[in-house]
Amino acid sequence: MRSNPDLCEFSFRQAVASTQLLTALGQTPLAEVMAQMAANPEASCILAVCRHEVVGHEVVGHEVVGHEVVGNKVVGIATRSDLLRTLATKANWPQLQLSQVMSHPVITVSATEPKTLPSLLERFKQHRISHLPVIDDQSQLVGLIEKKQLLQLLHDQHEPSEPYQQHQRTQLLAEITLKIRQSLQLKEILQTTVDEVKRLLSADRVLIYQVWPNGTGKTISEAVAHPYRSLLHIPFPEEVFPENYQALYVKGRVQAIADVHRPDSGLSKCLVEFIEQWQVRSKLIVPIVQPMNPSAGVAPLSKQLWGLLIAHQCSHPRQWSEFELDLMQQLAGQINLALSQGQLLAYLEDRVELRTAELTEANDALQREIKERQLVEAALRHSEAQLRLITNNLPVLIAYVDRHQCYQFNNEVYEHWLGKCPHSIAGKPMAAVVGQAHYQRIHGHIATALAGEAVSYESELTFKDGRSHAVNVTYVPHIEAGHKAKNRIEPLVKGFFALTTDISDRKAIERMKDEFIAIVSHELRTPLTSIHTSLKLLATGRLGELSHDGQQMLEVADENTDRLVRLVNNVLDLQRIESGEVTMDTYACDAAELLEQAAEATHTMAQQHEIEIQTQSVSLSIWVDPDYIIRTLTNLIGNAIKYSPPHNLIRLTVEPYVEKPVEESIEKSIEKSIETTHHRDRHTASMPTPQQALFCVQDHGQGIPSHKLAVIFERFQQVDSSDSREKGGTGLGLTICRKIVEQHGGKIWAESELGQGSRFYFTVPLRGDLERGNLEPNVSSV
Amino acid sequence: MPAKSVLIIDDEVSIQKVVSLSLKMEANWSVITASSGKEGILQAEHHLPDVILLDVMMPELDGIATFEALRDNPVTHSIPVILLTAKTRADDKQLFQKLGVAGVITKPFPPLTLASKIAQMVNWSL
Repeated sequence: MRSNPDLCEFSFRQAVASTQLLTALGQTPLAEVMAQMAANPEASCILAVCRHEVVGHEVVGHEVVGHEVVGNKVVGIATRSDLLRTLATKANWPQLQLSQVMSHPVITVSATEPKTLPSLLERFKQHRISHLPVIDDQSQLVGLIEKKQLLQLLHDQHEPSEPYQQHQRTQLLAEITLKIRQSLQLKEILQTTVDEVKRLLSADRVLIYQVWPNGTGKTISEAVAHPYRSLLHIPFPEEVFPENYQALYVKGRVQAIADVHRPDSGLSKCLVEFIEQWQVRSKLIVPIVQPMNPSAGVAPLSKQLWGLLIAHQCSHPRQWSEFELDLMQQLAGQINLALSQGQLLAYLEDRVELRTAELTEANDALQREIKERQLVEAALRHSEAQLRLITNNLPVLIAYVDRHQCYQFNNEVYEHWLGKCPHSIAGKPMAAVVGQAHYQRIHGHIATALAGEAVSYESELTFKDGRSHAVNVTYVPHIEAGHKAKNRIEPLVKGFFALTTDISDRKAIERMKDEFIAIVSHELRTPLTSIHTSLKLLATGRLGELSHDGQQMLEVADENTDRLVRLVNNVLDLQRIESGEVTMDTYACDAAELLEQAAEATHTMAQQHEIEIQTQSVSLSIWVDPDYIIRTLTNLIGNAIKYSPPHNLIRLTVEPYVEKPVEESIEKSIEKSIETTHHRDRHTASMPTPQQALFCVQDHGQGIPSHKLAVIFERFQQVDSSDSREKGGTGLGLTICRKIVEQHGGKIWAESELGQGSRFYFTVPLRGDLERGNLEPNVSSV
Repeated sequence: MPAKSVLIIDDEVSIQKVVSLSLKMEANWSVITASSGKEGILQAEHHLPDVILLDVMMPELDGIATFEALRDNPVTHSIPVILLTAKTRADDKQLFQKLGVAGVITKPFPPLTLASKIAQMVNWSL
């Protein structure tokens, strides 16, 4: 719209008002409003409207027909600047609606009212508004007059007014700011800036030059018009940008040079020559200054030059206006802000990346740990499953009992045999599980195990089918090197392992064996009696004289019949003792007397072998079956006589004996020493009161090899297999001795030295208090 | 001491023979033998011996049953009975003690002292 007198009075429809309106309901979210604005970059404002029905008119044939249509009534207005301000100042803008940021009430102008440009401009000034909606006679929005356009019209006729320039600068700045803020990517922001500045200033080249701390630098963003050369990414030496220049820029120096060739440009000749290669005729330089990083150890208010925003005019010299200079400065400020945001973003991204790396590493470590744990757990589960498989499938009861006598583990055989579910008895006291009566029978063994000594016993258990089964029970103490007391480590018994084996079948077999032995022995005895008796009668010579050879053969037969009788008797005795048939008829006896009786019983035999027997004893009251103890002694003395060369001495002694203390029992349990070879310290003054008597039969015979000492008390384990033939032994004598001693609650063992002789020891219980009336030894020889 | 008569009831003929010889040689007692419990009861009724040596393990009528029959028989009930047996188990010994026999001699026995042992059990003097 050029200079035209008609413009003094005109209809807005013809010239000013725009009908391309951007409208939205007042309750429209601000985000949607911003989207509309971004989609319509030419729109400078958005009008808030409300919808309502109005009467419209239409020509139908020759008649004008009225009808109701939906119209827009303007209720508010929000300019692009309003919206940008809101974005910049209100962090909660995504939650806001248009009605909360718009201006209202709205100043309008009627479409039917004739107006002149000055009158319109007067209305803008009067109300200090930038937009004037136009309404019809029904108050419906039909158009919009922008002050900028109005001023442009006036500008076309007159010099631009100051308000117009101010408005334009604000508008440009707002537009660029909006574009800048639509991105968080610095590179994109910088490129947008140079593009927009180049467009707005119609410059030939706009660039952003970044200055490095060493004074060098390069262009990192550029908008350049054809055909001028690009400076992008070309490094510039330090000489181009000396330190004193940098200092000036830090202080905010703005350099506007209308013509670089003019002498008053202030540029050195070499610099002019240098910039000539880039075809620069005129340039405007605005610094981009940032506060120093406080962490760098400088004062918080210190500033540093980050770079320069530069506009070049290459085609001709150019006088840069205050407006352009101001615009560049404000844009440099925006870049500075974007840089800060970008740095913050970069910092945050670095932090996020670092944290993500840390989290990834932690996650990897966690995954590895989880995997390792899973592997360990799988291995544990496998191991536990194997252990359970073993413990649950072995035909034995396996349990662990703690020191409070409560079950802590039972295998599933408890369910199969006794009908007791392991889960139901876990943690329960033994007495409650096995019953008080049974507990009374076994509590001594439990006490032994909890004292640290392994114990094994036989018992009867009633299975869930009601049948009684013979069982062998073994308690193995669970001993840990425990607490320190009195400068030494006391073993700590934490509980015991219980293993119960069903020995019903074994017992049945034993009974059958016993029965078999009894029958066989009996059946042997009858013919033996006949042979034995016949030979004895023949040997008297009263049935007729035999030749010398006949007599010798008779003696051989007689001796071997005697041996066979002894063997049968020993087999039967052993079988009776082992099967528990023999009950020791124990009462108080004098140990010295028994020793003398045994010596007397073997006197004849000793004489025949030219052996002297010497006894040395104290009067001790012992609690034994005297017949069996004499039998044990005579057996040991008989062996001593048989294995001693003539003219030797056999020493018989009996004396008080002190059992080893409890701690040694624990050690013994751990070390599993062999009882029969265990060398025991005999009584000492510091030991407690003796509770046993120790018998000893000592000879000076050939001795026993050490490897035989452990087995000579087993059946048929003579030192030499020829012994039984040469000495007439049965191989059962020492076994019977051991059984007799064990039936008395004592122990038997041997010590020997080859070629020096042997000592056979056994212990039996004292009656009670040691009878100290006669501790002087009685010595006699037989 | 007048000669004693002894009835040996044992199904083992060899035992009958050696016991007979032993008693004759050592004490010059007269010996009657029987090979079963039934025969032994008849012999006891017929000869009324001074003492009966009775084996325990015999077929059909064993020693225990034979002893009880002798005890129940008024003719023989006062004749002392000594068991001659190879049974040495504790329960056997307990059973014999309850029966009320004069004694128990276990096989094998020393033949040269058999007569004196019998005399001791029935309180004879040799």
